[in-house]
Amino acid sequence: MTRGGIIAAVLLTLACTACAAPQTLLLPGEDGHPVGALAVLEENGQEQVLDAPLRSARMTAGRTSLRTVKTIKPAYQRLMSGLPPAPRSYTLYFSDGATNLVPESRAVLAQIRADVAVRPGAEVQVTGHTDTVGSEEANDQLSLERARQVMAVLAAEGFPADALSAVGRGEREPAVETGDNVANAQNRRVEVIVR
Amino acid sequence: MRPLAMLAALAAASFVVSPALAEIGRVKSNVGAASVSRGGRMLPVAPGVQLEPGDVLVTGRDGRMGVTFADGTRFAVGPNSRVTLTEFQFDRTRQTGSFVTSVDRGSLGVVSGRIAKSRRDAMRVRTPTSMLGVRGTRFVVEVP
Repeated sequence: MTRGGIIAAVLLTLACTACAAPQTLLLPGEDGHPVGALAVLEENGQEQVLDAPLRSARMTAGRTSLRTVKTIKPAYQRLMSGLPPAPRSYTLYFSDGATNLVPESRAVLAQIRADVAVRPGAEVQVTGHTDTVGSEEANDQLSLERARQVMAVLAAEGFPADALSAVGRGEREPAVETGDNVANAQNRRVEVIVR
Repeated sequence: MRPLAMLAALAAASFVVSPALAEIGRVKSNVGAASVSRGGRMLPVAPGVQLEPGDVLVTGRDGRMGVTFADGTRFAVGPNSRVTLTEFQFDRTRQTGSFVTSVDRGSLGVVSGRIAKSRRDAMRVRTPTSMLGVRGTRFVVEVP
């Protein structure tokens, strides 16, 4: 290749890396949540971390350059405005440990219904939680059974079957921290996640 | 609920079709030219359409798509895009898993969910030149 050819090739390469390289931009957390982080993982095991709002990376093969941008460009703002709404969680309580909703939870059920109505393609995930009485395995089973019972109640209340699912979280996510084998009514609950 | 109604509800529940195991998320919105490519076939999208691992989200010049996944991750797919849902595994009881997406072309806005929280770099986004480890929440990836 002639010297002129080499210079032309180098210029061409520079022009392309400037215009067509994949980019990423870390945005501020949603609704006041703290910013997270992104890592550009290099093949040699090294990484470059973006961990402040509006940090941006331009990624060409084998080379990553970081910078901080001043504003979020309109195309990205438009993109993010197309995100589906954040899932929302509701908690239902039952008077007899089975499936009779306490009167206060009737109002919550109405809220769930209203939320589902404004979300196209809405899903309703019923998640059962237990307290720490009993083994972890038994509580996984118990929480799933509870979730399924509540799913049946919601189906009977007119929620479409193909929008419903049941999950048992067992004792992993207590509303109130307790020691093991502690009975706690606040932890025996069913969470309904609308997404 | 009266005992009889309760029985009816439980009977109904036994016929409730649980979401297919393969289901990983659902389309929540679509505008303009937007479709899902599955096994080489192009499927039309609408709110509520179920997505599976390996699906490719495809939009045209005027197209956009919004998707929510089983772990709460949300995607906004921009125009002229091609985004492959390469891998999605999620244990709903433990709320752990792994999620690999390839942005082959176009733009993708993300708010990450439970999988990204479950383990370092459990959620990754690939571009033609790089691999991103997702350690939290909101970002954009653009592949011109």
